[in-house]
Amino acid sequence: MGARGAALVALAASGAYLALAAGFPLGTAASPGAGLFPVAVGAYLVLVAGALTLAAFRRERAAAVTPGVAVPAGARRRVAVTIAALAGFCLALPWAGYPVVAFAFVTLLLGRLGGGGWAGAAAAGLLVAGASYYLFAVLLGVPLPLGLLG
Amino acid sequence: MGPVEGLVYGFGVALAPANLLACFVGVLIGTVVGVLPGIGPIGAMALLIPSTFALSPATALIMLAGIYYGAMYGGSTTSILVNVPGEAASVVTTLDGYQMARRGRAGAALTVAAMGSFVAGSLGVVGIVLSASWLADQALRFGPPEYFALSAMGLAILSRLSGGAVRMSLLMVGLGLALGTVGMEPISGVRRFTFGVLQLAQGIELVPVIMGLYGVAEVIVLAEEGLRKADLARVRLRELFPTREEWGRSAMPIARGSVVGFVAGLVPGPAAVLSTFVSYALERRVSKTPERFGHGAIEGVAGPEAANNGATAGAMVPLLSLGIPFAPATAILLGALVIHGVQPGPLLMVQRPEVFWGVVASMYIGNLFLLVLNVPLVGVFVSILRLPQHVLSTLVLLLCLVGAYSLNNSPLDLWVLVGMGIVGWAFRKLAIDPAPLIVALVLGPFMENTLRQTLFMAHGDWRLLVLRPLSLALLLVGVLVLAAPPVVAALRRTRRAA
Repeated sequence: MGARGAALVALAASGAYLALAAGFPLGTAASPGAGLFPVAVGAYLVLVAGALTLAAFRRERAAAVTPGVAVPAGARRRVAVTIAALAGFCLALPWAGYPVVAFAFVTLLLGRLGGGGWAGAAAAGLLVAGASYYLFAVLLGVPLPLGLLG
Repeated sequence: MGPVEGLVYGFGVALAPANLLACFVGVLIGTVVGVLPGIGPIGAMALLIPSTFALSPATALIMLAGIYYGAMYGGSTTSILVNVPGEAASVVTTLDGYQMARRGRAGAALTVAAMGSFVAGSLGVVGIVLSASWLADQALRFGPPEYFALSAMGLAILSRLSGGAVRMSLLMVGLGLALGTVGMEPISGVRRFTFGVLQLAQGIELVPVIMGLYGVAEVIVLAEEGLRKADLARVRLRELFPTREEWGRSAMPIARGSVVGFVAGLVPGPAAVLSTFVSYALERRVSKTPERFGHGAIEGVAGPEAANNGATAGAMVPLLSLGIPFAPATAILLGALVIHGVQPGPLLMVQRPEVFWGVVASMYIGNLFLLVLNVPLVGVFVSILRLPQHVLSTLVLLLCLVGAYSLNNSPLDLWVLVGMGIVGWAFRKLAIDPAPLIVALVLGPFMENTLRQTLFMAHGDWRLLVLRPLSLALLLVGVLVLAAPPVVAALRRTRRAA
């Protein structure tokens, strides 16, 4: 996504925020309601995002180089694996439970990012999942769900 | 309680076994995260907030503050030995520190850096005691309009001084303020931007936002860069002692760096980073042999290393005396205070003296710990760099996930963490500094409160914000900081064209 696209997204999001904020009670000047501050923030956001959009269009017209979110091909896979592992952890934790999810999470990341064997990654996953559950849930009292093992 | 009695009382608090242990653990973690490139003190502090729930407020803050200033010590180690700054505030140290290491003077550079940090940290404690007491007295005269104006001014200065384009920083401020409006409005109970999600009624937690933007984003960046292996220089114990000439050359830069750093810390913005550049430029300017800079001049290590520690002390002043954070790290400390039920502000010194004076005194003790940890044990910390990066990254992610979940036992915090991690990674690619977002997120609810109180006070008359002299002055400073540079540039262009 180029600078123009990013600026347009920011402007649209700011407009949407302002529109939603306008729906809250504004109250009066002497007794402001819950909508006053969000409306002020929304107006500020629209103003700044508008200025950014104008600047982006002017800059691109002048053919200036702008930073982008381009990722080299090999790196893209590692980023995708990391984000997928994080999303998988969030999705699976409530029903699969911490020990199983932590094992899968650590095994996947060590196996895919480390370039070593899967057996070593799985062994490390087992160790980390067990040790971290003991540390956080048993010693520190964090109520981590047991899920499938519960 | 006067400053001297306060400091004596503070040492009593800080020397209690639990606080002493918290201080040691904090500076130890700070040194480790400072040594490790990528995992900074901000992410580490956010990560450890949940682990402080069982501690007293003073103990929690002593530990978290220890991470903050401890990271400045650790950051210099990798700058000097590996030419990789562990922290942004140690970038300048690579210029001469690594050149010294190449000439076999790594030990001397490390010792001078640690001593400079110790002196600046110790002088910073004196600075906090003197300025925070005075500022807190003055702040007792502040009303809601002044607090609103001060927060607005702080955000304006932060936008101007943060990395990247000013427009982008201003957008980050807006984004932070907008995130701060999510949840149940405290006065009328109206639910704002919750979209029917019950858990959003409590608002967006600061901790997963910070852990996402700094911790998770950093790990994604490291994953993208692939595996790296650090090439470590070896340091022998006998090389740790600087020569008499090196000490002589370092003394004044340390003194100047301490002052530059402390003053920079008082100003909103990335003070620790800025102060090192200012200190380096200053040392180069006052040197009779400026050509040595960049080729292993010890002044180029001593000044900036003192400055970044002085800045961490200076940054504590607005937090402890006004209850207003001007940087992400102090925003986390404020968040931690609020979580522990402590109301920061000018009355902190009176109502919770054990927190105020205990933290201030602990900074002196922490600096002593750091001096001992960082000079003879430097080899131990450097060996941490040998830990494979993918193992470290995986463990950091797991800690972030458990830390975020433990806040409310809610999957929503996990999604905020991951979402902010992806946003933070995109910010890095677009060269956007998320610091204004964090500070605005913390200050947002406070600004809303003070704005509404101002309007109540003035019976709806907005002009009260500009009718009170102090409030007007603070707002004018903010406007000037934002408007002056483009106006001056436009005038110059007009003059040149004419």
